[in-house]
Amino acid sequence: MKAFACYHPAVLMLYFVAVLAIAMFCWHPVLLALSLAGSALFYFTLAPARVFLRESAFLALLAVAVTAANPLFSHGGATPLFFINGNAVTLEAIRYGLALSVMLAGVVLWFRAYGLVMNTDKFLYLFGRALPALSLVLSMAMRFIPLFRRQMKRVGDTQRAMGLYREESLPDRARFGMRVFSAMVTWALENAVETADSMKARGYGLAGRSHFSLFTFSGYDAVMLAAIAVLTGVFAAGAAAGGADFSYYPRTVQLSLSAASLAVYAAFGALCFLPAFIEIKEKIKWTYFKSKI
Amino acid sequence: MKKNIILFLLIAAAAAAFVLFADIQSVDEYYLSHIDDIKEGDPTVFLTIRCDTVLDNYDKLRQALRSPEYVPEDGVILARTEYVLRDGDTVFDILERAARHNRIQLEHHGTAAVYIKSINHLYEFDCGPLSGWIYKVNGGFPSGDCSSYVLSDKDEVEWVYTCDLGQDVGRGYTEEAAP
Repeated sequence: MKAFACYHPAVLMLYFVAVLAIAMFCWHPVLLALSLAGSALFYFTLAPARVFLRESAFLALLAVAVTAANPLFSHGGATPLFFINGNAVTLEAIRYGLALSVMLAGVVLWFRAYGLVMNTDKFLYLFGRALPALSLVLSMAMRFIPLFRRQMKRVGDTQRAMGLYREESLPDRARFGMRVFSAMVTWALENAVETADSMKARGYGLAGRSHFSLFTFSGYDAVMLAAIAVLTGVFAAGAAAGGADFSYYPRTVQLSLSAASLAVYAAFGALCFLPAFIEIKEKIKWTYFKSKI
Repeated sequence: MKKNIILFLLIAAAAAAFVLFADIQSVDEYYLSHIDDIKEGDPTVFLTIRCDTVLDNYDKLRQALRSPEYVPEDGVILARTEYVLRDGDTVFDILERAARHNRIQLEHHGTAAVYIKSINHLYEFDCGPLSGWIYKVNGGFPSGDCSSYVLSDKDEVEWVYTCDLGQDVGRGYTEEAAP
Protein backbone atom coordinates (compact mmCIF):
# COMPACT_ATOMS: atom_id res chain seq x y z
CA MET A 1 0.00 0.00 0.00
CA LYS A 2 1.06 3.59 -0.54
CA ALA A 3 -0.33 7.04 0.25
CA PHE A 4 -3.33 8.08 -1.78
CA ALA A 5 -1.50 10.85 -3.66
CA CYS A 6 1.04 8.32 -4.97
CA TYR A 7 -1.48 6.37 -7.03
CA HIS A 8 -1.38 6.68 -10.78
CA PRO A 9 -2.79 10.06 -11.98
CA ALA A 10 -5.43 8.35 -14.13
CA VAL A 11 -6.73 6.44 -11.09
CA LEU A 12 -6.80 9.60 -8.98
CA MET A 13 -8.57 11.56 -11.71
CA LEU A 14 -11.17 8.84 -12.09
CA TYR A 15 -11.70 8.77 -8.34
CA PHE A 16 -12.32 12.51 -8.10
CA VAL A 17 -14.59 12.52 -11.15
CA ALA A 18 -16.69 9.68 -9.69
CA VAL A 19 -16.98 11.20 -6.20
CA LEU A 20 -17.64 14.74 -7.41
CA ALA A 21 -20.24 13.63 -9.95
CA ILE A 22 -22.20 11.99 -7.13
CA ALA A 23 -21.54 14.67 -4.50
CA MET A 24 -22.61 17.46 -6.83
CA PHE A 25 -25.81 15.97 -8.18
CA CYS A 26 -27.29 13.86 -5.38
CA TRP A 27 -29.62 15.55 -2.94
CA HIS A 28 -30.02 12.60 -0.63
CA PRO A 29 -29.15 13.75 2.93
CA VAL A 30 -27.32 10.53 3.85
CA LEU A 31 -25.14 10.78 0.74
CA LEU A 32 -24.46 14.46 1.41
CA ALA A 33 -23.44 13.70 5.00
CA LEU A 34 -21.15 10.88 3.82
CA SER A 35 -19.58 13.15 1.21
CA LEU A 36 -18.93 15.90 3.78
CA ALA A 37 -17.57 13.49 6.41
CA GLY A 38 -15.31 11.67 3.93
CA SER A 39 -13.94 14.85 2.35
CA ALA A 40 -13.40 16.53 5.73
CA LEU A 41 -11.50 13.55 7.11
CA PHE A 42 -9.41 13.27 3.94
CA TYR A 43 -8.63 16.99 3.91
CA PHE A 44 -7.79 16.81 7.61
CA THR A 45 -5.14 14.15 6.92
CA LEU A 46 -3.65 16.21 4.06
CA ALA A 47 -3.70 19.82 5.25
CA PRO A 48 -2.01 21.40 8.26
CA ALA A 49 -4.34 21.68 11.24
CA ARG A 50 -4.37 25.49 11.11
CA VAL A 51 -5.45 25.54 7.46
CA PHE A 52 -8.07 22.89 8.12
CA LEU A 53 -9.54 24.88 11.01
CA ARG A 54 -9.63 28.11 9.01
CA GLU A 55 -11.34 26.33 6.11
CA SER A 56 -13.87 24.70 8.46
CA ALA A 57 -14.69 28.03 10.10
CA PHE A 58 -15.27 29.62 6.71
CA LEU A 59 -17.49 26.75 5.55
CA ALA A 60 -19.47 26.80 8.81
CA LEU A 61 -20.13 30.51 8.32
CA LEU A 62 -21.17 29.87 4.72
CA ALA A 63 -23.49 27.07 5.88
CA VAL A 64 -25.23 29.34 8.39
CA ALA A 65 -25.70 32.03 5.73
CA VAL A 66 -27.05 29.61 3.11
CA THR A 67 -29.39 27.90 5.56
CA ALA A 68 -30.76 31.24 6.72
CA ALA A 69 -31.09 32.66 3.21
CA ASN A 70 -32.85 29.76 1.48
CA PRO A 71 -36.23 30.12 3.27
CA LEU A 72 -36.28 33.82 2.35
CA PHE A 73 -36.24 32.96 -1.35
CA SER A 74 -37.97 29.62 -1.46
CA HIS A 75 -41.45 29.50 0.01
CA GLY A 76 -42.58 26.01 -0.94
CA GLY A 77 -43.16 23.31 1.65
CA ALA A 78 -46.12 22.06 3.61
CA THR A 79 -45.01 23.15 7.09
CA PRO A 80 -44.98 26.94 7.44
CA LEU A 81 -43.31 28.16 10.64
CA PHE A 82 -44.20 31.83 10.26
CA PHE A 83 -44.84 34.36 7.54
CA ILE A 84 -42.70 37.36 6.51
CA ASN A 85 -44.58 39.93 4.42
CA GLY A 86 -47.09 37.28 3.41
CA ASN A 87 -44.44 34.74 2.36
CA ALA A 88 -44.09 31.49 4.23
CA VAL A 89 -40.85 30.51 5.96
CA THR A 90 -41.14 26.74 5.93
CA LEU A 91 -39.43 23.87 7.67
CA GLU A 92 -38.80 22.20 4.30
CA ALA A 93 -37.02 25.28 2.94
CA ILE A 94 -34.73 25.32 6.00
CA ARG A 95 -33.96 21.62 5.54
CA TYR A 96 -33.24 22.19 1.86
CA GLY A 97 -30.94 25.09 2.76
CA LEU A 98 -29.12 22.86 5.22
CA ALA A 99 -28.72 20.14 2.57
CA LEU A 100 -27.46 22.74 0.09
CA SER A 101 -24.84 24.02 2.53
CA VAL A 102 -23.66 20.49 3.36
CA MET A 103 -23.35 19.80 -0.36
CA LEU A 104 -21.40 23.04 -0.91
CA ALA A 105 -19.05 22.31 1.98
CA GLY A 106 -18.46 18.75 0.78
CA VAL A 107 -17.74 19.80 -2.79
CA VAL A 108 -15.41 22.61 -1.68
CA LEU A 109 -13.45 20.18 0.52
CA TRP A 110 -13.23 17.60 -2.29
CA PHE A 111 -11.82 20.27 -4.57
CA ARG A 112 -9.36 21.39 -1.89
CA ALA A 113 -8.19 17.78 -1.55
CA TYR A 114 -8.03 17.51 -5.34
CA GLY A 115 -5.79 20.58 -5.41
CA LEU A 116 -3.41 18.99 -2.92
CA VAL A 117 -3.37 15.56 -4.56
CA MET A 118 -3.47 16.37 -8.27
CA ASN A 119 -0.71 18.84 -9.04
CA THR A 120 -0.07 20.46 -12.41
CA ASP A 121 2.46 17.82 -13.30
CA LYS A 122 -0.11 15.03 -13.02
CA PHE A 123 -2.74 17.02 -14.87
CA LEU A 124 -0.41 17.74 -17.77
CA TYR A 125 0.72 14.10 -17.80
CA LEU A 126 -2.91 13.02 -18.26
CA PHE A 127 -4.11 15.58 -20.79
CA GLY A 128 -0.93 17.22 -22.15
CA ARG A 129 -0.66 14.95 -25.13
CA ALA A 130 -4.31 14.77 -26.15
CA LEU A 131 -5.23 18.41 -25.51
CA PRO A 132 -1.95 20.37 -25.20
CA ALA A 133 -3.34 23.91 -25.51
CA LEU A 134 -6.40 23.37 -23.34
CA SER A 135 -4.57 21.55 -20.58
CA LEU A 136 -1.85 24.22 -20.43
CA VAL A 137 -4.49 26.97 -20.21
CA LEU A 138 -6.39 25.02 -17.53
CA SER A 139 -3.34 24.36 -15.41
CA MET A 140 -2.27 28.00 -15.73
CA ALA A 141 -5.75 29.17 -14.78
CA MET A 142 -5.86 26.86 -11.76
CA ARG A 143 -2.59 28.14 -10.38
CA PHE A 144 -3.38 31.73 -11.31
CA ILE A 145 -5.29 32.77 -8.18
CA PRO A 146 -2.74 31.57 -5.59
CA LEU A 147 0.03 33.03 -7.74
CA PHE A 148 -1.85 36.34 -8.07
CA ARG A 149 -2.40 36.48 -4.34
CA ARG A 150 1.27 35.86 -3.57
CA GLN A 151 2.44 38.47 -6.05
CA MET A 152 -0.13 40.95 -4.73
CA LYS A 153 1.22 40.58 -1.22
CA ARG A 154 4.75 41.07 -2.53
CA VAL A 155 3.85 44.26 -4.42
CA GLY A 156 1.91 45.60 -1.42
CA ASP A 157 4.77 44.88 0.95
CA THR A 158 7.18 46.69 -1.36
CA GLN A 159 4.92 49.72 -1.50
CA ARG A 160 4.70 49.79 2.28
CA ALA A 161 8.45 49.30 2.66
CA MET A 162 8.92 52.36 0.46
CA GLY A 163 6.92 54.31 3.02
CA LEU A 164 3.81 54.73 0.90
CA TYR A 165 0.22 54.37 2.10
CA ARG A 166 0.77 53.67 5.72
CA GLU A 167 -2.34 55.59 6.71
CA GLU A 168 -5.41 53.83 8.01
CA SER A 169 -7.79 56.25 6.31
CA LEU A 170 -10.26 54.77 3.85
CA PRO A 171 -9.47 56.90 0.73
CA ASP A 172 -5.77 56.27 1.20
CA ARG A 173 -6.33 52.54 1.47
CA ALA A 174 -8.48 52.63 -1.66
CA ARG A 175 -5.70 54.47 -3.53
CA PHE A 176 -3.23 51.87 -2.30
CA GLY A 177 -5.46 49.05 -3.53
CA MET A 178 -5.87 50.70 -6.94
CA ARG A 179 -2.13 51.15 -7.33
CA VAL A 180 -1.33 47.59 -6.40
CA PHE A 181 -4.12 46.30 -8.63
CA SER A 182 -2.95 48.22 -11.68
CA ALA A 183 0.56 46.88 -11.15
CA MET A 184 -0.91 43.40 -10.88
CA VAL A 185 -2.87 43.60 -14.13
CA THR A 186 0.26 44.50 -16.08
CA TRP A 187 2.21 41.77 -14.35
CA ALA A 188 -0.49 39.13 -14.95
CA LEU A 189 -0.67 39.84 -18.70
CA GLU A 190 3.09 39.81 -19.03
CA ASN A 191 3.40 36.66 -16.94
CA ALA A 192 0.82 34.77 -19.02
CA VAL A 193 2.54 35.69 -22.29
CA GLU A 194 5.93 34.80 -20.86
CA THR A 195 4.74 31.40 -19.65
CA ALA A 196 3.18 30.60 -23.01
CA ASP A 197 6.34 31.72 -24.84
CA SER A 198 8.52 29.72 -22.54
CA MET A 199 6.47 26.57 -23.05
CA LYS A 200 6.54 27.11 -26.80
CA ALA A 201 10.32 27.54 -26.74
CA ARG A 202 10.57 24.14 -25.05
CA GLY A 203 8.56 22.58 -27.86
CA TYR A 204 5.44 21.96 -25.78
CA GLY A 205 2.67 20.33 -27.81
CA LEU A 206 4.84 19.49 -30.79
CA ALA A 207 4.48 16.08 -32.41
CA GLY A 208 7.21 13.64 -31.50
CA ARG A 209 8.15 15.44 -28.28
CA SER A 210 8.72 12.89 -25.58
CA HIS A 211 7.68 13.32 -21.95
CA PHE A 212 9.53 12.22 -18.91
CA SER A 213 7.43 11.02 -16.02
CA LEU A 214 7.81 8.74 -13.07
CA PHE A 215 4.25 7.50 -13.15
CA THR A 216 3.90 3.77 -13.59
CA PHE A 217 0.73 1.76 -13.47
CA SER A 218 1.32 -0.88 -10.80
CA GLY A 219 -0.71 -3.67 -9.29
CA TYR A 220 -1.86 -1.36 -6.49
CA ASP A 221 -3.30 0.96 -9.13
CA ALA A 222 -5.18 -1.90 -10.76
CA VAL A 223 -6.67 -2.93 -7.40
CA MET A 224 -7.65 0.67 -6.66
CA LEU A 225 -9.16 1.10 -10.13
CA ALA A 226 -11.20 -2.08 -9.67
CA ALA A 227 -12.40 -0.91 -6.24
CA ILE A 228 -13.53 2.45 -7.67
CA ALA A 229 -15.26 0.73 -10.59
CA VAL A 230 -17.07 -1.79 -8.38
CA LEU A 231 -18.24 0.83 -5.84
CA THR A 232 -19.40 3.20 -8.56
CA GLY A 233 -21.15 0.32 -10.31
CA VAL A 234 -22.99 -0.70 -7.14
CA PHE A 235 -23.94 2.91 -6.57
CA ALA A 236 -25.24 3.31 -10.12
CA ALA A 237 -27.27 0.11 -9.89
CA GLY A 238 -28.77 1.14 -6.54
CA ALA A 239 -29.50 4.64 -7.80
CA ALA A 240 -31.19 3.23 -10.91
CA ALA A 241 -33.44 1.21 -8.58
CA GLY A 242 -34.42 4.43 -6.80
CA GLY A 243 -32.06 4.10 -3.84
CA ALA A 244 -30.72 7.64 -4.14
CA ASP A 245 -34.06 9.37 -4.64
CA PHE A 246 -35.12 11.99 -2.16
CA SER A 247 -37.43 14.96 -2.24
CA TYR A 248 -37.70 17.94 0.09
CA TYR A 249 -40.82 19.65 -1.25
CA PRO A 250 -43.69 19.79 -0.50
CA ARG A 251 -43.03 17.40 2.37
CA THR A 252 -39.63 15.93 3.19
CA VAL A 253 -39.89 12.19 2.64
CA GLN A 254 -38.83 9.58 5.18
CA LEU A 255 -35.30 8.19 4.86
CA SER A 256 -35.55 4.96 2.94
CA LEU A 257 -34.01 1.77 4.33
CA SER A 258 -34.73 -0.44 1.34
CA ALA A 259 -32.08 -2.79 -0.06
CA ALA A 260 -31.31 -0.38 -2.92
CA SER A 261 -30.86 2.53 -0.50
CA LEU A 262 -28.63 0.56 1.83
CA ALA A 263 -26.49 -0.55 -1.13
CA VAL A 264 -26.20 3.07 -2.28
CA TYR A 265 -25.24 4.30 1.22
CA ALA A 266 -22.65 1.53 1.67
CA ALA A 267 -21.09 1.96 -1.78
CA PHE A 268 -20.85 5.73 -1.60
CA GLY A 269 -19.69 5.64 2.02
CA ALA A 270 -16.87 3.25 1.12
CA LEU A 271 -15.94 5.43 -1.87
CA CYS A 272 -15.85 8.60 0.27
CA PHE A 273 -13.82 7.16 3.12
CA LEU A 274 -11.39 5.24 0.90
CA PRO A 275 -8.68 7.97 0.62
CA ALA A 276 -8.94 8.99 4.28
CA PHE A 277 -8.66 5.33 5.28
CA ILE A 278 -5.52 4.85 3.19
CA GLU A 279 -3.91 8.03 4.51
CA ILE A 280 -4.64 7.17 8.15
CA LYS A 281 -3.47 3.60 7.73
CA GLU A 282 -0.20 4.79 6.20
CA LYS A 283 0.27 7.33 8.96
CA ILE A 284 -0.19 4.65 11.64
CA LYS A 285 2.23 2.36 9.84
CA TRP A 286 4.82 5.13 9.53
CA THR A 287 4.56 6.02 13.22
CA TYR A 288 4.81 2.38 14.16
CA PHE A 289 7.94 1.75 12.08
CA LYS A 290 9.52 4.97 13.33
CA SER A 291 8.91 3.92 16.93
CA LYS A 292 10.92 0.74 16.35
CA ILE A 293 14.05 2.54 15.15
CA MET B 1 -11.27 50.53 15.44
CA LYS B 2 -12.81 52.86 12.90
CA LYS B 3 -13.53 49.91 10.66
CA ASN B 4 -15.33 48.17 13.51
CA ILE B 5 -17.58 51.17 14.05
CA ILE B 6 -18.50 51.27 10.36
CA LEU B 7 -19.20 47.54 10.37
CA PHE B 8 -21.27 47.86 13.53
CA LEU B 9 -23.30 50.71 12.01
CA LEU B 10 -23.91 48.69 8.85
CA ILE B 11 -25.15 45.69 10.81
CA ALA B 12 -27.34 47.94 12.97
CA ALA B 13 -28.79 49.58 9.84
CA ALA B 14 -29.54 46.19 8.28
CA ALA B 15 -31.19 45.00 11.48
CA ALA B 16 -33.25 48.20 11.70
CA ALA B 17 -34.35 47.86 8.06
CA PHE B 18 -35.36 44.26 8.71
CA VAL B 19 -37.39 45.20 11.79
CA LEU B 20 -39.05 48.12 9.99
CA PHE B 21 -39.92 46.43 6.71
CA ALA B 22 -40.44 42.80 7.65
CA ASP B 23 -43.92 42.04 8.81
CA ILE B 24 -43.70 38.78 10.71
CA GLN B 25 -46.92 36.86 11.28
CA SER B 26 -47.52 33.54 12.94
CA VAL B 27 -49.21 30.84 10.88
CA ASP B 28 -52.57 31.38 12.58
CA GLU B 29 -52.36 35.13 12.18
CA TYR B 30 -51.65 34.72 8.46
CA TYR B 31 -54.58 32.42 7.84
CA LEU B 32 -56.93 34.45 10.05
CA SER B 33 -58.98 35.97 7.28
CA HIS B 34 -61.85 38.38 7.18
CA ILE B 35 -64.37 36.92 4.83
CA ASP B 36 -67.48 39.08 4.73
CA ASP B 37 -70.82 37.39 5.31
CA ILE B 38 -72.96 37.59 2.22
CA LYS B 39 -75.88 39.97 2.77
CA GLU B 40 -78.81 40.64 0.51
CA GLY B 41 -77.81 42.96 -2.32
CA ASP B 42 -74.02 42.63 -1.86
CA PRO B 43 -72.05 42.32 -5.08
CA THR B 44 -70.49 38.85 -5.20
CA VAL B 45 -68.24 36.75 -7.45
CA PHE B 46 -67.80 33.01 -7.78
CA LEU B 47 -64.41 31.31 -7.51
CA THR B 48 -63.38 27.82 -8.57
CA ILE B 49 -59.88 26.27 -8.46
CA ARG B 50 -59.36 23.12 -10.53
CA CYS B 51 -56.48 20.97 -11.75
CA ASP B 52 -58.26 18.34 -13.91
CA THR B 53 -55.56 18.46 -16.59
CA VAL B 54 -53.02 17.02 -14.14
CA LEU B 55 -55.14 13.87 -13.86
CA ASP B 56 -54.83 13.36 -17.63
CA ASN B 57 -51.04 13.85 -17.44
CA TYR B 58 -50.35 11.99 -14.21
CA ASP B 59 -47.23 10.35 -15.65
CA LYS B 60 -45.64 13.78 -16.15
CA LEU B 61 -46.40 14.93 -12.60
CA ARG B 62 -43.48 15.28 -10.17
CA GLN B 63 -43.25 12.11 -8.09
CA ALA B 64 -43.59 13.83 -4.70
CA LEU B 65 -46.94 15.37 -5.68
CA ARG B 66 -48.68 12.14 -6.66
CA SER B 67 -51.07 12.15 -3.73
CA PRO B 68 -54.70 13.21 -3.37
CA GLU B 69 -53.50 15.76 -0.84
CA TYR B 70 -52.00 17.87 -3.64
CA VAL B 71 -54.00 16.70 -6.64
CA PRO B 72 -57.53 15.72 -5.52
CA GLU B 73 -59.05 12.73 -7.30
CA ASP B 74 -61.83 14.83 -8.81
CA GLY B 75 -59.41 17.65 -9.73
CA VAL B 76 -61.26 20.19 -7.60
CA ILE B 77 -59.07 22.16 -5.18
CA LEU B 78 -61.79 24.68 -4.37
CA ALA B 79 -65.37 23.96 -5.39
CA ARG B 80 -67.40 26.87 -6.79
CA THR B 81 -67.82 29.28 -3.86
CA GLU B 82 -69.44 32.70 -3.63
CA TYR B 83 -67.39 35.56 -2.18
CA VAL B 84 -68.37 39.12 -1.39
CA LEU B 85 -66.82 41.54 -3.87
CA ARG B 86 -65.23 44.54 -2.22
CA ASP B 87 -64.74 47.75 -4.10
CA GLY B 88 -61.84 47.49 -6.57
CA ASP B 89 -61.18 43.79 -5.93
CA THR B 90 -59.04 42.12 -8.57
CA VAL B 91 -58.85 38.43 -9.49
CA PHE B 92 -55.75 38.19 -7.30
CA ASP B 93 -57.45 39.77 -4.26
CA ILE B 94 -60.29 37.25 -4.39
CA LEU B 95 -57.89 34.34 -4.87
CA GLU B 96 -55.69 35.40 -1.97
CA ARG B 97 -58.64 35.95 0.35
CA ALA B 98 -60.15 32.59 -0.56
CA ALA B 99 -56.80 30.80 -0.21
CA ARG B 100 -56.25 32.25 3.25
CA HIS B 101 -59.80 31.46 4.30
CA ASN B 102 -59.49 27.83 3.18
CA ARG B 103 -55.83 27.45 4.23
CA ILE B 104 -54.76 26.65 0.68
CA GLN B 105 -51.06 27.18 0.07
CA LEU B 106 -50.39 30.03 -2.37
CA GLU B 107 -47.16 31.41 -3.74
CA HIS B 108 -47.04 34.41 -5.99
CA HIS B 109 -44.38 36.53 -7.53
CA GLY B 110 -44.23 40.28 -8.06
CA THR B 111 -46.20 43.14 -6.60
CA ALA B 112 -47.12 45.36 -9.58
CA ALA B 113 -48.01 42.47 -11.88
CA VAL B 114 -48.70 39.36 -9.84
CA TYR B 115 -47.91 35.93 -11.21
CA ILE B 116 -49.27 32.86 -9.44
CA LYS B 117 -46.49 30.31 -9.05
CA SER B 118 -48.28 27.75 -6.92
CA ILE B 119 -51.67 26.84 -5.52
CA ASN B 120 -51.95 23.93 -3.09
CA HIS B 121 -48.22 23.04 -3.57
CA LEU B 122 -48.81 22.49 -7.28
CA TYR B 123 -46.12 24.69 -8.83
CA GLU B 124 -45.56 25.90 -12.34
CA PHE B 125 -43.58 23.31 -14.36
CA ASP B 126 -44.53 20.53 -11.91
CA CYS B 127 -46.42 18.67 -14.63
CA GLY B 128 -44.28 19.11 -17.72
CA PRO B 129 -42.44 22.16 -19.08
CA LEU B 130 -45.62 23.83 -20.36
CA SER B 131 -47.57 23.66 -17.11
CA GLY B 132 -48.75 26.42 -14.79
CA TRP B 133 -51.75 28.29 -13.40
CA ILE B 134 -53.97 30.48 -15.58
CA TYR B 135 -57.31 32.10 -14.88
CA LYS B 136 -60.63 32.48 -16.64
CA VAL B 137 -63.27 35.12 -16.09
CA ASN B 138 -66.76 34.28 -17.36
CA GLY B 139 -65.34 31.55 -19.58
CA GLY B 140 -62.72 33.69 -21.36
CA PHE B 141 -59.00 34.10 -20.80
CA PRO B 142 -58.09 37.74 -20.03
CA SER B 143 -54.68 38.71 -21.37
CA GLY B 144 -53.37 40.76 -18.44
CA ASP B 145 -52.07 39.65 -15.08
CA CYS B 146 -54.51 38.73 -12.35
CA SER B 147 -53.81 41.76 -10.17
CA SER B 148 -54.89 44.22 -12.85
CA TYR B 149 -58.22 42.59 -13.71
CA VAL B 150 -60.88 44.38 -11.64
CA LEU B 151 -63.98 42.24 -11.15
CA SER B 152 -67.61 43.23 -11.27
CA ASP B 153 -70.78 41.78 -9.76
CA LYS B 154 -71.58 38.08 -10.48
CA ASP B 155 -68.32 37.44 -12.34
CA GLU B 156 -67.31 33.81 -12.61
CA VAL B 157 -63.60 33.38 -11.79
CA GLU B 158 -61.91 30.07 -12.46
CA TRP B 159 -58.27 29.18 -11.79
CA VAL B 160 -57.17 26.20 -13.85
CA TYR B 161 -53.90 24.32 -14.06
CA THR B 162 -52.75 23.73 -17.58
CA CYS B 163 -50.20 21.20 -18.76
CA ASP B 164 -49.99 22.56 -22.29
CA LEU B 165 -49.83 26.38 -22.22
CA GLY B 166 -53.62 26.64 -21.98
CA GLN B 167 -54.42 24.51 -25.03
CA ASP B 168 -55.82 21.69 -22.88
CA VAL B 169 -58.20 24.01 -21.01
CA GLY B 170 -59.69 25.55 -24.11
CA ARG B 171 -57.44 28.48 -24.74
CA GLY B 172 -56.50 28.57 -28.42
CA TYR B 173 -53.62 30.42 -29.99
CA THR B 174 -56.15 32.67 -31.76
CA GLU B 175 -56.72 34.50 -28.52
CA GLU B 176 -54.20 37.00 -27.29
CA ALA B 177 -51.04 35.36 -25.99
CA ALA B 178 -50.15 35.80 -22.35
CA PRO B 179 -47.73 38.65 -21.61
